[in-house]
Amino acid sequence: MRTYVTLVWAVTRKDLLVEFRTYERLTAMGAFAVLVGVLFNFSIDTAVVRPQDIAAALIWMTIIFGGMLGMGRTFRLEEEDGALAGILQSPIPLHALYLGKVLGNFILLSVMATLVFFVFGLFFSLSFSGNPVILVAIVGLGVLGFVSLTTLFSAMATRSSMGESLLPVLVFPLLVPVLVYGATATQRLFAGRPVVEVGGNLRMLAAFAIIFTVAGAGLFRFVIEE
Amino acid sequence: MSDKQIQWSVGVLGTLGVATVILLHWMVFFWVPTESSMGIVQRIFYIHVPAWWIAFLGFGLVGLCSAVYLWLGDERLDRAAVAGAEAGMVFTTIGLLTGPLWGRVAWGTWWEWEPRLTLALILWFIYLGYFLVRRSTANPEQGKRFAAVIGIIGVLDIPLIHVSVTWLRSLHPQAVILSAENPMNLESSMGVTIGVGLLAFSLVFASLFLARYAVAGYERELDLRDATLAGT
Repeated sequence: MRTYVTLVWAVTRKDLLVEFRTYERLTAMGAFAVLVGVLFNFSIDTAVVRPQDIAAALIWMTIIFGGMLGMGRTFRLEEEDGALAGILQSPIPLHALYLGKVLGNFILLSVMATLVFFVFGLFFSLSFSGNPVILVAIVGLGVLGFVSLTTLFSAMATRSSMGESLLPVLVFPLLVPVLVYGATATQRLFAGRPVVEVGGNLRMLAAFAIIFTVAGAGLFRFVIEE
Repeated sequence: MSDKQIQWSVGVLGTLGVATVILLHWMVFFWVPTESSMGIVQRIFYIHVPAWWIAFLGFGLVGLCSAVYLWLGDERLDRAAVAGAEAGMVFTTIGLLTGPLWGRVAWGTWWEWEPRLTLALILWFIYLGYFLVRRSTANPEQGKRFAAVIGIIGVLDIPLIHVSVTWLRSLHPQAVILSAENPMNLESSMGVTIGVGLLAFSLVFASLFLARYAVAGYERELDLRDATLAGT
């Protein structure tokens, strides 16, 4: 068990090291998040709509669209430099490789999601008086569900002739439950509704994250092998 | 099944299917009584409901064949999966077109974000991704594996999508045919018409499925010949 965790962590650590030396994906996702926040601000007529009412929905759309930018490049480095052949020949089981990639993406997207909440909170003057632990759990589970699917499909998209443009077509229809439960729970928490109201959302987001992380780990070898 | 047997079956099933579809339309327009509360527009249900049942059958077939294909690697299962997906997409499109026609009269709007309609649209897009992936790889074997993965993930996701969109909002007329509280509470002639609809679409589905299955076999033969020619 310990060896397995070490293997998973080795993949995550490698991805994070590469990322924190270049900041390629984080810069793209972070800049996207801030700029979208600015643009949304100009696209809302405050005489008709209160930005606070729709902020949570915009936050989730920004996480999903911005996340696509970064997640689409999960396997680009390996594919470009032929490093994938090396990784496939190494003794690491493919599900451990997948879980390592998912964990790396989860950490990167969590950083981005935190930035999105911060930026939107600032731009839309949001005040949050609810339970922050529940909010973190909602966003964390939503992000895990999101990366479990996008990591699997980004391996597919990278290896197809359509490249990254294929990823949204494949993933968006499948992400509906994450968006429904994540965005509504966030809206309720921002509106100061009791925590009991989002219990069901938490359970469904957890179910989604577990099902697709397990399915992704099982199916990954069919996507990555030649 | 040999090629001859498949061709013969496609012909027989197709002819029977078209004949039953014509019979169904005659029953819908001239035979079955008008439903009292919804009026004449309810007649579209005899096309709409069986189309959905067949669409879901197609999708179930894709999921099942995809899973067993990845497990056993038998070429025929991939052919069955793609045949199920293409025939399923035809019926999903019929369901998506007939639903709004009814909705325009009953709800007063062409489109409503109602759970089953939403699920139908999402299902259609999952099918679309399935076909896109198959065509977007240089290596056809890889495309088949990718498509099988989408088929499995899609089938796992459908119940979650259904639960989530139902939880969000619900407007669709409740299922009255297979409802647990009130089983088969339709007028008998209406039940018969639905049954004929189901039979008609099943026959058409079976003939389309077999035809596509055979074509997938020819495509594979051509690929193999191309590969042999390229190698010589």
